Amino acid sequence: MSDQKKREITYLEAVREAMVQEMRSDPDVFLMGEDIGVYGGAFGASQGMLEEFGPERIRETPISEEAIAGAATGAAMMGMRPIIEIMFMDFVTLAMDQLANQAAKIRFMFGGHTSVPLVCRAPAGSGTGAAAQHCQSLEAWFVHAPGIKVVAPSTPYDAKGLLVTSIRDNNPVLFMEHKLLYRTKGHVPEDLYSIPFGQAEVKRPGRDLTVIAYSNMVVRALEAAEILAAEKIEIEVVDPRTLKPLDEATLMASVCKTGRVLIVHEAPITGGFGGELAALIAGGEAFDYLDAPIRRLAGRDIPIPYNRTLERATVPQVEDIVAAARTLAKEGK
Amino acid sequence: MAVEVILPKVDMVMETGTFVEWLKQEGQQVVKGEPLFTILTDKAAIEIESPASGILAGVSAKPNDVIPVSETIAYILAPGERQPERRSGASAAGAATSAVPAETPAGAVVIGPSAFPAAPAGKVRASPVARRMAAELGLNLNTLSGRGPRGRIQRADVAAAVETRAAIRPSGMPALQIPLPDARRKEVIPLTGARKIIAQRMAYSAATAPHITLSLHVDMSEATHLRTRLLEKIEQSTGQRLSFTAILVRAVAAVLPHHPFINASLNVEEIICWEDVHLGIATSLKDYLIVPVIRQAQTKNLEQLVVVLADLVERARSHRLSPAEMSGSTFTISNLGMFGIESFTAIINPPESAILAVGKIVERQAAGENGLVLKPMMNLTLSADHRVIDGAAAASFLAELKATLENPYLLL
Repeated sequence: MSDQKKREITYLEAVREAMVQEMRSDPDVFLMGEDIGVYGGAFGASQGMLEEFGPERIRETPISEEAIAGAATGAAMMGMRPIIEIMFMDFVTLAMDQLANQAAKIRFMFGGHTSVPLVCRAPAGSGTGAAAQHCQSLEAWFVHAPGIKVVAPSTPYDAKGLLVTSIRDNNPVLFMEHKLLYRTKGHVPEDLYSIPFGQAEVKRPGRDLTVIAYSNMVVRALEAAEILAAEKIEIEVVDPRTLKPLDEATLMASVCKTGRVLIVHEAPITGGFGGELAALIAGGEAFDYLDAPIRRLAGRDIPIPYNRTLERATVPQVEDIVAAARTLAKEGK
Repeated sequence: MAVEVILPKVDMVMETGTFVEWLKQEGQQVVKGEPLFTILTDKAAIEIESPASGILAGVSAKPNDVIPVSETIAYILAPGERQPERRSGASAAGAATSAVPAETPAGAVVIGPSAFPAAPAGKVRASPVARRMAAELGLNLNTLSGRGPRGRIQRADVAAAVETRAAIRPSGMPALQIPLPDARRKEVIPLTGARKIIAQRMAYSAATAPHITLSLHVDMSEATHLRTRLLEKIEQSTGQRLSFTAILVRAVAAVLPHHPFINASLNVEEIICWEDVHLGIATSLKDYLIVPVIRQAQTKNLEQLVVVLADLVERARSHRLSPAEMSGSTFTISNLGMFGIESFTAIINPPESAILAVGKIVERQAAGENGLVLKPMMNLTLSADHRVIDGAAAASFLAELKATLENPYLLL
């Protein structure tokens, strides 16, 4: 029991463990994607799975994201529970018709006679020097497509529990995995468990300012919180974990408590999910508790540069969060 | 080199100052040491001298701005020199700061980024939570001043206003919401600076110190003789005219050491009787009152007091007293004789335990050796904190003061 408590694995291992354990318990679950078999996946997520489950359930595909998503949609309609891996989230643009026009709408258009229980896993984000076509965070595209759920876990624990829920959900789920998170470690129980959708988590309580962040920005916000704590600025880091469905109540309660909110994401600021969060807060219960304008800190409106320095300057870093949070927390005090 | 003009810290505990006015125009030549601007601290309005000679530029402080200590509010530039880019503390991370335009024609000066447009007429800049709190508390946002960007009223400002209003309200009494008259407003003045301090202390004193007042008349015949005899001599030695105030100060300073409880402070669970007589002289300026303090008045003779008084009053009128010279009194004298007031009662200036209210010297009928005669009489009214001072003790002080003024040769 105590060993179980202390067990720490990486985010990548947590993703694999969720897939393996679900595949062991449910024969309808299978994995499809490019280089996921012998090679074990571009980032190693499916290492060893071909050996355990064989080529029928670990299905290597040609380089065609549209075909992967289309085949998965069809399989899902026929009662299977496919997981597809899009090697880089950027390539999901090729699968958008199948995901946004087909998978997302079928259950609605057929009056609930069929459903599409598929999970699209998508490694996202910058920081690896992989340039503009391998670094994007496209969560806002999916949030904007009714019928698709969007999950963006920030810790190994959340990754496992939310991937299990994603696989068991009867709707298409976009499961966003930040590439920089793959090597982060954290406590993950070996037993199978699930985390319900629509439950945000306060990753660090604080009284002065709410920082809403998801995916890798949670890690950076928590680092920023440590630095700010030394200056006696206590920020509350709230991770929605699932962008759709969204736990408005937890976000709202936090902003009501602190009166100030900074929304942080990596994707470009214009049209980003932060705008949606800002509008919800401004239009909700928290409005009467706001003591300063809602602020957003997000990626610049440019393609991610290859150059390391420019890549770094394009998306929010720890020091940017510290500076923005400090300014906002002190405003008018 | 451009020299920064900052809001100076003129008082140990000062964190902000309220800007009153510029005494020089932007673009004008100034000389080091010349009065440059006036600020209002918690205690008084103070003139600040220019830190350098040159041209005043980049003026950002406006009347009624509440400005943190050490903040740059202007620059003194050498002829032809350009104003340095102002350090901006407010721009969010990653946000580009707006460029300062190059030399503008006709010697115009670039306005710093803190020159924000005022809120539209009839609108108040306030955060949502400040609006809600103000509404719940029945506070009028128009009467609050904001410390947020562009003067935005935020939670802290409303909280501070509540605290202030609680402080100027007697403790234990509910906040009375007295409806304001339905009248056109000429002006709404934020309760800040000296006015706020006076309001807080007077309400505190009136509510916490049970005042007793004792009053008597003093025959000022001998004091008048004394003044006439010494007037010319003291004017020769000091260049100042001997005033009745100086004689009164000398008498109070001589008598107070015999009455320890009159020159005392109630401090929580103890009464401190002061060895020193630091005499506060309530002085009315144009629109408010200050109390310059004569330190260790008991050690000074009449000539010295004349000199000190003249200096304090002169500098008080020209706003050149330091905050230290206006605080720390152990007893206060308030004289409204110059307005024709014959007698009045004053409220004790805490933490003191008594205050002397002095009226005008008027000719009154009094008993002389051959029946009624006219004598120059002066009313003295002592307000005393009854927690510290018994009626008999207060009476004994007043009686000795009267005896001294009626026989001022005792002061020799």
